[in-house]
Amino acid sequence: MSTNEPTGAPLAPNQDPKAQEKPRKTRKIKTTKDVNGVPQEIEIEVEDVDGPRWGERKDLKVLNTELRRVDGPVKVTGRARYTHDVRLPGMVYARLLCCPYPSAEVTIDVQDALKLPGVEAAIVLETKTRFLGQPIAVVAGRTSDHADDALRALKVTYKPLPWAVDRAQALAEGAPNVRKNGNKGKPGQNGDRAEAEAAIAAAPAKLEATYSVPVQHHASLETHGVVIDYRGGEEATVYISTQWTFAAVGQVAELLGLKANQVTAIVEHMGGGFGSKFDLGSEGAVACRVAKELKKPVHLMLRRPDEFVMAGNRSGNRVTYKAGMNADGTLAGLVANAEKFGGLGDGSMARPPYVYSAGKTYSEVVAVYTNTDSNRAMRAPGHPQASFGMEAVLDELAYQLGLDLLEVRKANLKDKVWHRQLERVAKEIGWFEHPHRTKPGPNSGGKELGIGFGISTWGGGGSGGTECDVQLAKDGSVTVSVGTQDLGTGSRTLVTAIVAEEFGLQLGDVVARIGNSRLPSATGSGGSTTTGSLSPAVKDAAWNARNAFAEHLAPILKTEAALVRFAGGKVFSQANPNAAMTWKQACATLRDAGLNAHGKWDKDRAAALMGNGVHGAQAAKVEVDTLTGRVRVLEMVGIQDCGLPINRTAVRSQLNGGMVQSLSYALFEERVIDPVLGLALNANFEDYKLAGPSEIPKMTSIIDDDDQRSATIGMAEPAIVPGHSAIANAVHNACGARVRDLPLTPDKVLAALGRIA
Amino acid sequence: MKSFTLFNPKSLGDAVGALAAPTSSVKVLAGGQDLLTEMKEHLVEPDKLVNLKGVPGLDRIEFTAAGACTIGALVTVGALEEHAGVRERLRVLAEAAGSVGSPQIRSVGTVGGNLCQRPRCWYYRSEHAKCLKKGGDECFSFSGQNKYNAILGGGPSYIVHPSDLAPALVALGATVTLKCSTGERQVALERFFTLPGEGDIRRETVLRDDEVLTHVHVPAPAAGMQSTYVKFRERGSYDFALASVALALWRDGARVKEARVVLGGVAPIPWRAKAAEAALAGAAFEAATFARAADGAVQGAEGFGQNDYKIPLTKGLVQRALQSCG
Ligand SMILES: Cc1cc2nc3c(=O)[nH]c(=O)nc-3n(C[C@H](O)[C@H](O)[C@H](O)COP(=O)(O)OP(=O)(O)OC[C@H]3O[C@@H](n4cnc5c(N)ncnc54)[C@H](O)[C@@H]3O)c2cc1C
Repeated sequence: MSTNEPTGAPLAPNQDPKAQEKPRKTRKIKTTKDVNGVPQEIEIEVEDVDGPRWGERKDLKVLNTELRRVDGPVKVTGRARYTHDVRLPGMVYARLLCCPYPSAEVTIDVQDALKLPGVEAAIVLETKTRFLGQPIAVVAGRTSDHADDALRALKVTYKPLPWAVDRAQALAEGAPNVRKNGNKGKPGQNGDRAEAEAAIAAAPAKLEATYSVPVQHHASLETHGVVIDYRGGEEATVYISTQWTFAAVGQVAELLGLKANQVTAIVEHMGGGFGSKFDLGSEGAVACRVAKELKKPVHLMLRRPDEFVMAGNRSGNRVTYKAGMNADGTLAGLVANAEKFGGLGDGSMARPPYVYSAGKTYSEVVAVYTNTDSNRAMRAPGHPQASFGMEAVLDELAYQLGLDLLEVRKANLKDKVWHRQLERVAKEIGWFEHPHRTKPGPNSGGKELGIGFGISTWGGGGSGGTECDVQLAKDGSVTVSVGTQDLGTGSRTLVTAIVAEEFGLQLGDVVARIGNSRLPSATGSGGSTTTGSLSPAVKDAAWNARNAFAEHLAPILKTEAALVRFAGGKVFSQANPNAAMTWKQACATLRDAGLNAHGKWDKDRAAALMGNGVHGAQAAKVEVDTLTGRVRVLEMVGIQDCGLPINRTAVRSQLNGGMVQSLSYALFEERVIDPVLGLALNANFEDYKLAGPSEIPKMTSIIDDDDQRSATIGMAEPAIVPGHSAIANAVHNACGARVRDLPLTPDKVLAALGRIA
Repeated sequence: MKSFTLFNPKSLGDAVGALAAPTSSVKVLAGGQDLLTEMKEHLVEPDKLVNLKGVPGLDRIEFTAAGACTIGALVTVGALEEHAGVRERLRVLAEAAGSVGSPQIRSVGTVGGNLCQRPRCWYYRSEHAKCLKKGGDECFSFSGQNKYNAILGGGPSYIVHPSDLAPALVALGATVTLKCSTGERQVALERFFTLPGEGDIRRETVLRDDEVLTHVHVPAPAAGMQSTYVKFRERGSYDFALASVALALWRDGARVKEARVVLGGVAPIPWRAKAAEAALAGAAFEAATFARAADGAVQGAEGFGQNDYKIPLTKGLVQRALQSCG
């Protein structure tokens, strides 16, 4: 699953519903209808469809409404079982020892550890390390305390090797080679530099400035990890906190020397991944090794400090923009020189200019490597990084020309959907009454209010590989089965809702079985592709089940299958709505085994159900205390299109979550490593600051209902793209403090205000 | 963490008795909010904990008729914050208590533990950094990541004292009772905390290993006291102070009679800003005075890079604290 690399230039989404519609076909059915007890010949026109459709929005009873998540009660009562909670007979707890230095030669004596009571294994994994946090040993004990004691009993000596953990060290003369070919990747170039420079030179307003964002952590509440249930023999089960149930199967099988059909993966509930959990990971591989050696179940969940250093990150970046703006607010040209900091990885950065048209453009993007763990995909890889500088450049140039920040955005956006969205968030946040629309507020010594904007884009379409079963039991119960995973995003509810809608039932009438590799296959959840991959497959299965059930019921209802209707918990013929059976009565006519139907994501049928390409806009209102540098976000407004919302609450949750996560990125989050000592300084939830309850502003999340595409589209990623940019712009707008380096901590705000001597 | 034995004394006598002649390393345990973290991170590895929680009589807040207040060491920060008498008569203390950590931390952390807690400096908290505080010979913050470190106090260690209660209590002129198996002593809180240059650099207070802090005594404030605690934290939900100001103020009409200004988060001890107090005493209660007091508060302050901002920040907070008494 490739979700890491952003797709060059951001795509141009098409919100036109016609782009995706197929011509509507109908046919007429001759039938009889009772009119006052007298049967009469009539003709009924029915839709003649070659596959499932979502139908008219006004007819939907479950979809496009506000649904509570079906697993809410088990989660809030603690009954939901996460990987971390799995306890098996004879299980041992494993712990990793991670190298505290970015690069070192390591010698480890495991003898003392092995002699401790309750300790079952102590294995050296690595003797020469390349990144801070690289696992160098694993121990296992009968309890987690035994494992902790074993860790402490390892006799370790570190011989630090030269390292580079930040930009300065990586690019210094004589820097150690982080990767074989040096500390810089191959630059990606686009556009004609001379042409862009000339356009900028000729523009009335010009700017050259460097913007940077730090390395951020995914900070999933559940750390990475697995429980491997293997006791020798020919079978194994892996419980895993993953975004892709099926990916683990083959990997575990290979490591244990089994076949894929001997391994089951289980992801009952999952505590977040944000892009960092796509495969078994090195921790999972180590757990397999221990399980194979001990022939006992192994529980290996990362401890929080280890999670911070070895489980991926969102790459930082540093971009120098040169840009010129015409008097009418259109950009004349833009040159961007970007460096990405993804540790041993390549980092990610959507190609500048981000979304906006910028006249003549040239960009150069290069990875700078350091001895830290490789970046992984993180919610909209590359987009938040690219958004930050781009949105700032627009504001800074607009101020030079005394232009309205909203109008300048519109002037550089061809797609009118963004115009409409920007105007909506502007209205909601009070832009039109705001006093500082064309120049920043004063550095007054008091508290000042500012507003900022940002926009986003994403794909969000799905792809093949997902299949689904729907079963109707004779007692009326309904089960939908698909091996997909619910990361906390609500896919279990989505699956349930689609089937309930199909049969005119309520959410509670359907049970979803997910998160198990013995169920029909499903794709991984990355890049907002889950909705577009899952919903067509589930809809297909539900539709097939409905057609099969209608065929079965037609003779019983003395009608044709095409006229059988399911609504409000009842089943009837369209010709005779009064002669209805209850759902239970209808199901009672099934054979003992009930009714089973299968469906899948089929390219042609899915094309009528899912779409691709979304727009979003956000606005933030902040208060800056110009005496202390304190930034408070007072309000955020986000709007997002997503075609047909399956669950409006879930869509709004994604928007709210995106805004909160971007607020945290704007104000607090940053990985800190001491470059000289090579130590991670804030690898815990106290010093790595995440926004908490008091930071949450008034939030308005708006689903863009002007988007009438009858297609489902994932929208988790774009929700996180523009919030931090809007906040930084709002700070500038409030008081003239332009902080070009996130996070917007008081030290930087005070410096930007010129208040530090 | 390393295994230890837990001793649950039923009386103060038993508690100090257990500290008297330790055969192995012993630590006093109160709410455990700080100590257990230190143990998990292997910064301290005691063999034995003396758990004060079962010791009777240390969890009360009592006012005398004259208005003096005695606070038991086991009173939780939350109980202090919510106590009606404290809110009414010792506002700076109630506000300081309310600014500590999060509700969860306040409900468990105790007053004694809060005053005896260890520094949060991330070099001190990193097992692999052998810093001055841990017996090494360098304070890494000086040339390292010093955004949260001290601007006052003069080193050679640049930790900041993390307690919010301490500046408030120093502003109120509090004393503490320290008890050992052979007796007890009263120490003014201002003398309880020691600068790194003064005493054992590995400690922040004069508390000895065989002593328990049993009570905090706040004398009855002179009539007419106005007081407030202004704390600046990066993250509102829970955070230690980047800088804070405890202010107690007496006015005589439009003039300041006397003021106590104590800073938190900027020095290794709660920092009595005497120059600020002098600038206020006898001066008109007005913006120009506030500005002079703000300058006085940071007299001698020195940043070394990433913590430079604490100087204007502290000045701003002093002004804000004074304005709020207007
Ligand atoms: C996440 C977090 C955020 C926090 N935020 C703040 C904050 O914003 N402001 C603030 O002021 N504090 C803050 N704290 C600190 C918290 O208030 C203290 O950790 C707590 O008050 C310590 O109290 P305790 O009772 O838990 O002490 P313990 O952890 O039990 O003890 C702390 C230390 O004091 C010693 N000790 C305790 N009681 C006595 C006694 N009576 N006599 C002698 N020695 C004693 C112990 O031996 C130990 O060394 C925070 C703590 C955490 C974990």
